[in-house]
Amino acid sequence: MDNIANLMHGFEVALTAHHILLMIAGVLLGVLVGVLPGLGAPNGVSLLLPLTFSMDPVSAIILLASLYWGALFGGSTTSILFNIPGEPSSVATTFDGHPMAKQGKATEALSFAFLSAGFGALCGVVLITLLSGWVANFALRFSSPEYFAVYFMTFASFIGLGGASPFKTVVSMGIGFSLATIGMDSVSGNVRLTFEYDVLLAGVSFLIAVIGLFGIGELLLTMEEGLKFEGVAAKVRIGDVLRTATKLPRYWLALARSSLIGIWMGITPGGPTAASFMSYAMAKRSSRDPDKFGKGEPEGVIAPETADHAAGSSAMLPMLALGIPGSATAAVMMGGLMIWGLNPGPTLFTDRPDFVWGLIASMYLGNIVAVVIVLATVPLFASILRIPFAIIGPVIVVICFIGAFTAANREFDIWLALIFGLVGYLFKKLDYPIAPLVLAMVIGDKAEDAFRQSMIFSQGSLSIFWSNALVGTLMAIGLVLLFMPLIGAGLRRLRGQGETRTV
Amino acid sequence: MITRFWAEIGTAILTLVFGLVIVKGSLEFGIGWDSSGPQPGAFPFYAGGLVALASLGTLTLTIGKRFAGHPMLAEAFLDAARGRRVLSFLLPLAAFVVLSVTLGMYVATILYLVFTMRFQGGYGWIASLATALLTAAFLYFALEKFFQIGLLKGPLEPLLGL
Repeated sequence: MDNIANLMHGFEVALTAHHILLMIAGVLLGVLVGVLPGLGAPNGVSLLLPLTFSMDPVSAIILLASLYWGALFGGSTTSILFNIPGEPSSVATTFDGHPMAKQGKATEALSFAFLSAGFGALCGVVLITLLSGWVANFALRFSSPEYFAVYFMTFASFIGLGGASPFKTVVSMGIGFSLATIGMDSVSGNVRLTFEYDVLLAGVSFLIAVIGLFGIGELLLTMEEGLKFEGVAAKVRIGDVLRTATKLPRYWLALARSSLIGIWMGITPGGPTAASFMSYAMAKRSSRDPDKFGKGEPEGVIAPETADHAAGSSAMLPMLALGIPGSATAAVMMGGLMIWGLNPGPTLFTDRPDFVWGLIASMYLGNIVAVVIVLATVPLFASILRIPFAIIGPVIVVICFIGAFTAANREFDIWLALIFGLVGYLFKKLDYPIAPLVLAMVIGDKAEDAFRQSMIFSQGSLSIFWSNALVGTLMAIGLVLLFMPLIGAGLRRLRGQGETRTV
Repeated sequence: MITRFWAEIGTAILTLVFGLVIVKGSLEFGIGWDSSGPQPGAFPFYAGGLVALASLGTLTLTIGKRFAGHPMLAEAFLDAARGRRVLSFLLPLAAFVVLSVTLGMYVATILYLVFTMRFQGGYGWIASLATALLTAAFLYFALEKFFQIGLLKGPLEPLLGL
């Protein structure tokens, strides 16, 4: 019941005219960022972050979180109308969303997408409301070895469950950790890995990495594809939206299943993209009529959208309660929290309850605001995509580099963004996952501190990671996640043998 | 034309070199143990080492697949037409970066937008100039005046009294 009281207090914080205006601004910017190719949620948050340094943290996080919701919604708009996913996590929405739009059911597809997305997001937020206090309390028992074990678990699940080549995931992750160590070492005071270049003294900022990897890299890829926007015109009428809304309860099973998948993938760092694909695949497999999928089946829109948003919002739970971001965007936000002088993790709940519960309350409001705004502004944002890419592309480039510069007012960062852009292009083309790199950069220092302190406790013996039930369990889960592909293959082989024996 | 095989190999070698550079850099700070716990080089040493090992893994795997005749590796990574499209975007972008650090970001923005619109987008001079100037003016007022954030400026802004 504590949670409910806290939440009510949170609503008091979030429900001010100033904060509602910030939500609206954030959602509008987010939809814009989500609609434009090359700009996505992680990027949008990175670009906006330097502008929030002078704001108070509660207002700043409300603005950034609303931008995140807006971007998730914007990505689905372009998927459905233009068959171009504005966000990687809305790729699965194109499979059935665009066919529906082409059949003249654009409004229905959009309404299904936004309403089910709103439902998924609210499921995620309800979960955060109920669980975050409990998780944070539990995590108060953690000391350095436990923290290191949780970081280990996070990256193990990237390697084991990520779907990309495990080697490539390790490369991406290791590069992130290496980059995080450049510059001043907070423990010994040494300046590390600068190779005598003064520009590296202050380290490499994760913001520059995100802007380069996600922004410039994505734009290069978009150019290479030579994309053309051939959209379906859409006008959204209230009547159509309401009619679609009455049809939504029919898909309760898909909604429930997709929310669960989304929440699971959001809490474990699977992320929204994996969640939407998994949910789509599950919906198709369990459907009585799988052939209809890909030809404009509403369930094929509902399933990925619900999971996408459920994952997006529940990714905030581990970020707030444990200090471990569940997605690339959450990682950037967590980096922002640290820049504002907050320490994400269990102590945040006791030190800054107004911040935590204000944010959680703003998630309820922000998502409702987002559904309304996004339905009202579909024609506006669809018309933005009719501006030719020859204009929009270079403008996005300019915005990305300006964002890179404003992050720390350093000339060197502009060059760095260009390098990260090229790396991002190469990595995306060759299926290197980028999220682990960003996550590793953000939590690199914390992971290193946790590791060093554990080593000091144990006088250099790795056995400290098995020294009590809690840390041992966490490490064991991490190892299971790490070797998941091997375990899966082993089980399949065993089952295969079992079947041949019965035949 | 670059095949996927060579792109994979090239990238893996790049990441291998990166890993080794980090490993070498960490050795300077000691990777062992001293009175205050693990030495500062230990953590980056293992991170860089992981990168190098995993890059070797990718190299081995890719070469192994090549001998097994995996069809995906023979696919084009970048053909001439695509390569041209990427370069036509990348070169002006790189020029924008160079101009930004020499002439300042506002001047670079105007030159870059005019170039891409006029010579790549095929728009008229008036439309190109208007878009570029408006964008720069918008950025100026939004950043310098509203958010009080200064951008990199070159030799031209003081002449205009900005």
